[in-house]
Amino acid sequence: MKPRRIDRRLFLRAASGAAVALPLLPSLRAKGAPAPAPKRLITMYTPNGQIHDGWWPTSGGETDFTLNEAHTPLAAHRDRLTLLRNVDLKSAGGGPGGPHQRGIGTLFTGQQLQAGDFVDGCGSHAGWANGISIDQVVANLQLDTPYKSLELGVRATENDVQGRIAYAGPGQPLPPMLEPLDLYNRIFRDLVVPDDPGTPPPVDPLIAERQSVLDAVRGQITNLESKVSNEDKMRLESHMTLIRDIERRLAGTIVECEKPDEPMKLDPASEVDMPVIAELEIDLLAVAFACDLSRVASFEISTGLNRIRYPWLSSMGEGHPLSHMSPTDTDARTQLVARAQWHSGLIARLYDRLSGIPEGEGTAADNTLLVWCSEVSEGNVHSHTNMPFLVMGGGWHFETGRYLDAAGASHVDLLVTILNAMGVETDTFGLPEFCTGPLAVLT
Amino acid sequence: MRLPRRLLGTIAVGALGCSAPEGPAFAPPPPAMAGSAGSAGIGGQAGSAGAGAGGAGTSGATAGDAGAAGAGMGGTSGSAGAMSCETVAPGAAPLRLLTHIQYDNTVADLLGDTTGPSKTFPAENEVAGFRNNVAANQVNPRLVEGYQAAAETVAGAAVGTDLQALAPCADTAGSVDCGRAFIVSFGEKAFRRPLDTDEIAVFEKLFTDTLPLGYQKAVELSLRAILQSPQFIYRVDAERAATPETGAVALGPYQLGARLAFFLTNSTPDADLLAAAAAGELATDAQVEAQARRLLETPRARAMASDFMMQWLGMSRLDGAARQAADVNLGPIELVPDWKASLAAFLEDAVFTAGRIENLFTSPKLFVTPKLATLYGLPVPTSDLAAVDREERFGLLTQPALMALLAHADQSAPVLRGAFVRERVMCVEVEPPPPDVNVTAPAVDPTATTRERFRQHTADPGCAGCHILIDGIGWGFEKFDQFGRYRELENGLAIDTTGDVVDTGDPELDGPLSGVSELAARLASSSRVRDCLATQWYRYAMGRVEDEADACSVADVQKRFADSNGSFRELLVAIALSEAFRYRPALEAP
Repeated sequence: MKPRRIDRRLFLRAASGAAVALPLLPSLRAKGAPAPAPKRLITMYTPNGQIHDGWWPTSGGETDFTLNEAHTPLAAHRDRLTLLRNVDLKSAGGGPGGPHQRGIGTLFTGQQLQAGDFVDGCGSHAGWANGISIDQVVANLQLDTPYKSLELGVRATENDVQGRIAYAGPGQPLPPMLEPLDLYNRIFRDLVVPDDPGTPPPVDPLIAERQSVLDAVRGQITNLESKVSNEDKMRLESHMTLIRDIERRLAGTIVECEKPDEPMKLDPASEVDMPVIAELEIDLLAVAFACDLSRVASFEISTGLNRIRYPWLSSMGEGHPLSHMSPTDTDARTQLVARAQWHSGLIARLYDRLSGIPEGEGTAADNTLLVWCSEVSEGNVHSHTNMPFLVMGGGWHFETGRYLDAAGASHVDLLVTILNAMGVETDTFGLPEFCTGPLAVLT
Repeated sequence: MRLPRRLLGTIAVGALGCSAPEGPAFAPPPPAMAGSAGSAGIGGQAGSAGAGAGGAGTSGATAGDAGAAGAGMGGTSGSAGAMSCETVAPGAAPLRLLTHIQYDNTVADLLGDTTGPSKTFPAENEVAGFRNNVAANQVNPRLVEGYQAAAETVAGAAVGTDLQALAPCADTAGSVDCGRAFIVSFGEKAFRRPLDTDEIAVFEKLFTDTLPLGYQKAVELSLRAILQSPQFIYRVDAERAATPETGAVALGPYQLGARLAFFLTNSTPDADLLAAAAAGELATDAQVEAQARRLLETPRARAMASDFMMQWLGMSRLDGAARQAADVNLGPIELVPDWKASLAAFLEDAVFTAGRIENLFTSPKLFVTPKLATLYGLPVPTSDLAAVDREERFGLLTQPALMALLAHADQSAPVLRGAFVRERVMCVEVEPPPPDVNVTAPAVDPTATTRERFRQHTADPGCAGCHILIDGIGWGFEKFDQFGRYRELENGLAIDTTGDVVDTGDPELDGPLSGVSELAARLASSSRVRDCLATQWYRYAMGRVEDEADACSVADVQKRFADSNGSFRELLVAIALSEAFRYRPALEAP
């Protein structure tokens, strides 16, 4: 891996009031020969669908649409936005599991669920999703960043199929990090930043020690592989791959950027801490992108069967039961739209920060694609048609700032388009019977 | 891979049963075989509950699955009475990661490190309520990073504390011989068996290569490597023998020793157990039983029982649970630690001091912290936690933590409470609500009781079919609010706690109820509840939901639990003696 130089002359201020002080965001522009700007992907999930008459644009056409309540925080980024009406989660129509399980399982994998012993609140049984998610397809191509991907979550405490959106492979879910401090400790704490931007930092003796230790660990994996069942041998090979990922990182990168402040310790289960946790995760993700520590992330707010309140929005209903209320119940509608609006605000916060990072001819926001959806379309009926998909960015691959009608296309087609945008050349993904190629309407 | 439930629901389990499909018939040492009609597994009975609930309707999309779920638990464990248990057909024994608790206990027992390094590991996945499911918990990037970070912290602290105790060496500059001695002796404890020559060679090379950095550093790096080796991180139940295997294979002494220790103490085998394994003294029933009984008297066994119970009860969901009321001036999540401490003390008392299932469900003991005592209007103790006998409390079901867990933020939750009893205590699956119904608790109304506000459940015929199964149990708890606080009146109105237990498939359980006291008494003497608890603990012990291969062992464990009059110690001994616990399938050819 090549060391990366980051010009630290171009400092920028964080755009709006952060929950804790953020560092001045560095530029990613490389010294010397300009490299093509990296492309970044975020998959984002919020549970229980959306209130549709607060979500879809209320008037106007493909380009002159009027943002609805749920999206007002994104007004400043309207030209990066793509709203896709009538994309269906057709692949959620079969396989094991209840509607929440089937929806979240196929959302970013295009696959159905394995058989298993997870029981959803509605009594159905299922296992994990039976395939890799798009973020991990892209992550596997990221050999130049220390972390192939970052899985982040906010109160996503259901530790089963309902609480996982990222999959390294069939039945291989990646659990999200729920505490900003854990994220900080993982990617920033040990980061060695050179004092002088022109000189690499002294070699860290820890690196040589770790390499020696991991040599021995690999030796013991090999020893054990010869003794165990074929199935266990495959497990050990997966373990070996993860050890090699660590070694690759050790061999790796010199990152020149300012470390963010260490965030405070917060309670990932607490409704009091929840908004601070979400904002800190967004802020740390922006810095991680700015420092090119990773280019792929997933972001998951809560889970399908949550009973979470949003007291800072005066929304005191318990999440999943609240979503079962009829859309004509005005109190429930107000609460659910307020939550959607707040979720949009987190996206706005991220793009505000990314917009402050010069990159190539524009900013990091120009090179970041985010796709947001839920596991059901409407919480009260658990439908899987006309899914509330929102895409941010991707302007390098398709025209943005539009409100489009996908006319009942499979969401797997959208996944193909996103993969294409991220440089993955394919015309299929997930279960082939639910895929016709890139999403025709999104060009 | 297990059969999908819809298959299990329709296949006659006896046909799959407990006969080894291949290999020589192997007659196990005879723990008494189940076979009487009375020892039918969790199974069978659940079918009727499913059928009873089916009429309430399910969504079109899930109707097929719901039908299968109606057979539910029944399909998985089946009725042992109908099948042959003459031969052993143990379930698979794959590599098994140490659970977070096991990791922490192990580094504490090996190195005295009580910092709980697993707190930075990613959350464990949960299956059927349990976080130690083997199949659902595999390595991922953050876990491997976590092992590395934990090894560095733990090893650094260990060599810095007392190097001579850890790796004694007459030559203070250290030597390769001292390094080898450390690797051999500490390695055996960490790997739970002696190292082979290849394994010693790997560590010895690391030690020799790094000795120029100093003896302490070389020991530290070897220790870090030991703590990241798969032989430490995974429990290895099946290693290839020199000659090909067939049929059911008895676990080797070190492997059985590790199973006993990790099940009963959630930690690594102690010196006594390793010595017994080395001496071949884990071969007979009596030897295994003696070790199990010895381990059960350790503090770690009490912690294990508490961990099991907390997972069974779903207590991790209490974290962050906000509870409020106009007359309670406390932060929304302020009481969670108090509730947990109270419950942990109650469980330890019921399981280990009193010791029987009857005590679990009927003990009047309540453990209060000063905060809880104040809230409940009881004398405030001078200690952190004090036991009082309260005539309004009836064992587990009325524990403050459980009542607070099974509640909404601003009110009690009879539906959650009723569903909990059916699902977790009786092992009967509860059918889903129809997808388009309002499942939000009705708004708090200062002029009505909770029961009055929930009346629609039984008034609306679309809801009544299911809710009669749930609410009839849930109403019994209505004298306990969302804080687990006892109340005689709600909003000045009398509270009606009468209900009905319907269609559990167990005539001992079914019938009208006056309230939670009668429910508790009925649960305490129910064979269905006893079998359910035995099955839950079996799942925790084995790290999987039982399948057809487990039917004979589950039935046997249930029978021993019953024969002991519901003694928890005997239940745990019975699991340790079960065939599933002591055998594994033969390894296939490489």
